[in-house]
Amino acid sequence: MKHILDGTLVSIHEALVRQDITPLELTQEALRRAKANDDNAFELLLEADALAFAQTLTTPEPANLLWGIPYALKDNFSTKGIETTAGSDILKGYVPLYDAAVVERLQHAKAILIGKTTLDELAMGGTGMTGHKGVQTNPYDPTHTRQIGGSSSGSAVAVSAGIVPFALGSDTGDSVRKPASYAGLVGFKPTWGRISRYGLFPFAPSLDHVAYFTRSVEDAEILLSVLAGQDQRDATTLTTVFEPSKTLPTSPRLAVLKPVLDSIKNPTILKAFETSIEGLKHAGFTLDVVDFPLTLLQAIYPTYMTISCAEATSNNANLDGIKFGPGYEGKTYQDVMMQARTNGFSELIKRRFVIGSFVLMRENQDVLFLRAQKVRHQIVNALQTIYQTYDGIYLPAAPTVAPLFKNSSDRLSHEYLIADSHLALGNFAGLPSMTIPLGFEGSLPFGVNLMTRAFEDDRCLAMGKTIESVIGLRNLIAPLGAST
Amino acid sequence: MNFEAVIGLEIHVEMQTRSKMFSRAPVTYKALPNSAVVPLDLAHPGTMPVVNEQAVINAIHVCSALHLTIDKTLHFDRKNYFYADLPKGFQITQHRRPIGSEGYLDIPLASGTHRVRIERLHIEEDTAMQHHFGEMSLVDYNRAGIPLMEIVTYPDFQTGEQAASFVETIRQIVSFTRVSSGRLEEGSLRCDVNISVRPIGEKAFGTKVEIKNLNSIANVQRAIEFEMLRQERLLLSGQRVQQETRRFDETKRETILMRVKTDAVDYKYFPEPNLVPIELSEAFIEQAIASRLELASHKRERYLTIFGLSEYDAGLLTKDVDIASYFDRCAALGNSYKLYANWILQDTMSVLNKTQASIVDFPIQPERLVALVALIESGDVSNKQAKELFEKLQTSDAQPRALAESLSMLQISDPVLIQKEIDAILAANPQSIVDFKEGKDRAVGFLIGQMMKKTGGKLNPGLTNKLLLETLKRQ
Amino acid sequence: MKKVTKDVLVDASTRLLFTMTDEQYTVLLDEFSILIRQMELIGQIPGVDDVPPMTFPFTALSHGLQPDEPVTPLTQEEVTRNAAHVVDGQIKLPKVVG
Repeated sequence: MKHILDGTLVSIHEALVRQDITPLELTQEALRRAKANDDNAFELLLEADALAFAQTLTTPEPANLLWGIPYALKDNFSTKGIETTAGSDILKGYVPLYDAAVVERLQHAKAILIGKTTLDELAMGGTGMTGHKGVQTNPYDPTHTRQIGGSSSGSAVAVSAGIVPFALGSDTGDSVRKPASYAGLVGFKPTWGRISRYGLFPFAPSLDHVAYFTRSVEDAEILLSVLAGQDQRDATTLTTVFEPSKTLPTSPRLAVLKPVLDSIKNPTILKAFETSIEGLKHAGFTLDVVDFPLTLLQAIYPTYMTISCAEATSNNANLDGIKFGPGYEGKTYQDVMMQARTNGFSELIKRRFVIGSFVLMRENQDVLFLRAQKVRHQIVNALQTIYQTYDGIYLPAAPTVAPLFKNSSDRLSHEYLIADSHLALGNFAGLPSMTIPLGFEGSLPFGVNLMTRAFEDDRCLAMGKTIESVIGLRNLIAPLGAST
Repeated sequence: MNFEAVIGLEIHVEMQTRSKMFSRAPVTYKALPNSAVVPLDLAHPGTMPVVNEQAVINAIHVCSALHLTIDKTLHFDRKNYFYADLPKGFQITQHRRPIGSEGYLDIPLASGTHRVRIERLHIEEDTAMQHHFGEMSLVDYNRAGIPLMEIVTYPDFQTGEQAASFVETIRQIVSFTRVSSGRLEEGSLRCDVNISVRPIGEKAFGTKVEIKNLNSIANVQRAIEFEMLRQERLLLSGQRVQQETRRFDETKRETILMRVKTDAVDYKYFPEPNLVPIELSEAFIEQAIASRLELASHKRERYLTIFGLSEYDAGLLTKDVDIASYFDRCAALGNSYKLYANWILQDTMSVLNKTQASIVDFPIQPERLVALVALIESGDVSNKQAKELFEKLQTSDAQPRALAESLSMLQISDPVLIQKEIDAILAANPQSIVDFKEGKDRAVGFLIGQMMKKTGGKLNPGLTNKLLLETLKRQ
Repeated sequence: MKKVTKDVLVDASTRLLFTMTDEQYTVLLDEFSILIRQMELIGQIPGVDDVPPMTFPFTALSHGLQPDEPVTPLTQEEVTRNAAHVVDGQIKLPKVVG
């Protein structure tokens, strides 16, 4: 028998308005499930605070779709008075003095924060294996031998295991949209600047986006209405307002990038993809397989590494054990900082920082950092050419289902991994991009991705609804995740 | 062999905006440590910079005074390094695209004016402060993030006198535009010197030495003069000048080694990704330039040509923006310009120097000073009486005329009344008339003395003297 | 471009104020060889340098400058609350020289 908490935001909201259930009961169930879950999804459960807040919500607000809804937040969002470590020992014991903009908005909407979720350390990973609380596993895999992806791994678990109907993450290269594919979820990353990053611990600001998981596209649209908006404290937020689309664009045209499609070998994924294309054509879409410069696709991975490591190294220079985080005694201030940073950062992070530092060195900038920024420009130009003719780019989100841990690594790889890294196009160009569940291989889900023009978040969501209805997969919860 | 010095200056100006460059913490001085700080100043994760509009306007004010070309787009970069006073591990600055470039400043010298070319002016943020106590240093983040302007000159200076004049002129510019208090002694103005020497006629530059932490304009000059000699002596004795950073010891009047300079540090500059370039509209820039307050040099020009003050007085009045401002307010209320200048530069400054106070807090503000001078001009009080009033007005709220009246000070300047007194005193001293006719000058003085005694010194001396002589001549 | 050797990487990590083990440097050297090779190939893309470097995906939307209005600052206690070593309301470090 399905519990109300297993529904989408809309159905849970309706139940609350009908008073079939109270926020307190919902929160209690969410916390129970959180504790029962064994995929290592939470850094911290906020049981007392969540229950206390839920108890104050006694009069339903019919016009407020998030009223009384429990949710989870990746632990790289600043929460006042609540320890936030971004998955790293260097921030152990750090208690922020302010709330992130998105936390303020969700608090104002009376959603109920039940916990901070685990992530790859400092959001700099894609496997869910590098956070200081250990590995996150995939609720679709009872053997616990498969990833759920990263870096927003805990948030992906929280929604796919039915603990909460939505959870926030961050997406710098694919850190919400890839796990969404492995977890049968909708993962939405809006236009860069659409949602304020004030309070999001930065990985690479020119690529970072606030993004989130839901179990339906409709829920993703509702959430954007609450989260989007200009913020005086974030100078990169858009001045334009987001309004959900009232209508679908007439005869939308979507492009399938040929080199990416060609690099995907999994027959189940390819078949499901083809089937969805047929369905979309019946629904009035035009879909064309189009060319895209292979060299630019092959350049995505090293370009992303170069730019993101450079920005990350600089962003995390504030972590020195002096103002916050575990402190040390020493003879000099360098000594103090060195102990903090040596003990606080994992080996992966240190390697990334050395890369980031190297590509910015005076002798290297031209052929490394600056060239990567030029490639970014070339990529954005090439995408703009596509968008002159097409309203969206449509591709499988990932070439495989959730990988086995034993085949996973965060080390730089020899292979070009085009199919694994195409989602980063949406970060280079700041475009709205959404992963939607596409199918199953056995019991493991996989997703498809739609990426539209900058600022056209409304169209992305509108077209996404059609894609979702054509495919027919909605509100998926891992079978074992919703168990007692 | 004769040497010449090649000197360039880097000047940092701390802006006196209300909030910081990239955060909205208040800008305060001399406050309790860590009482003017917000999370961004401490580099708390997730905090983000936003550019302070007034700081940009201030920079434009100074760019226009220095004839710099203004970049219409604001770009910011990160300068990455680790230091105890740098909470983020980087400083937000303008490396590639300074807001102002390629300008000049003409500075006054004993020998005439000298033009100094200015390479750039850019905006950045200040670091935290460290206080050293025994084996520990304590960090106070109040200063972290305060807006700074950095002005870099070309190496167009050859002497300490020129450098000192430049720094003084910059001080006047930043204080008169009210962009900064401009005090080296307080650190709101900081001057670093880059100096090398070479034989005259030699095209190649010698090795550059950097001198930092100069805490007065006089020391800027002294440090340069000492360093020129030091480098010359080294070269003449066959040694080489090392690339060093030195400081100036005030008591010994020598430059002292701080550290040897190794390879130039690599700051790994790249564009600040949290600050999208900001387009400054034509209207914004024009408005910023138009709203710039009057420069000291322009005031001096005005004081000389319109108010007829001497160069000396004009120079003194424009040494301090508050004094010039005070004078300007007087000049707007009345036209006894020379008298206002005297009363400010002599009487007022004398009090202020004793109490170390600012003219801003002086109890006699322009309205009352102008009223006091008006009393003198109209002959209602004598200079001596005015000085007495000036003293009393410092501890009273009263208006000068009312105070003079209450002290029975007002002079009698009515010719009819004076004539009455004259007639009376002549009637009582007929011998004086005889003495006067016989050419005894003392008679006049005697008569005036008597009249003053009788009226308690209230007769207008000039007028009384004139009327008495006329009356005596008619006898 | 600087040649990547272990010494260069040791220097870089020291300047970043952390230490790494020998094994970690070995892994890192391997990662560098991959990255450099890939960047070299990128360098050979015809016309790759024909565009200026791009930092932001788009730039038209800055809402620009913030009015010069101060906000209420933190208390001294809040400022030092998360710091490990505090003396007299300030954060304490070993004596900083140079």
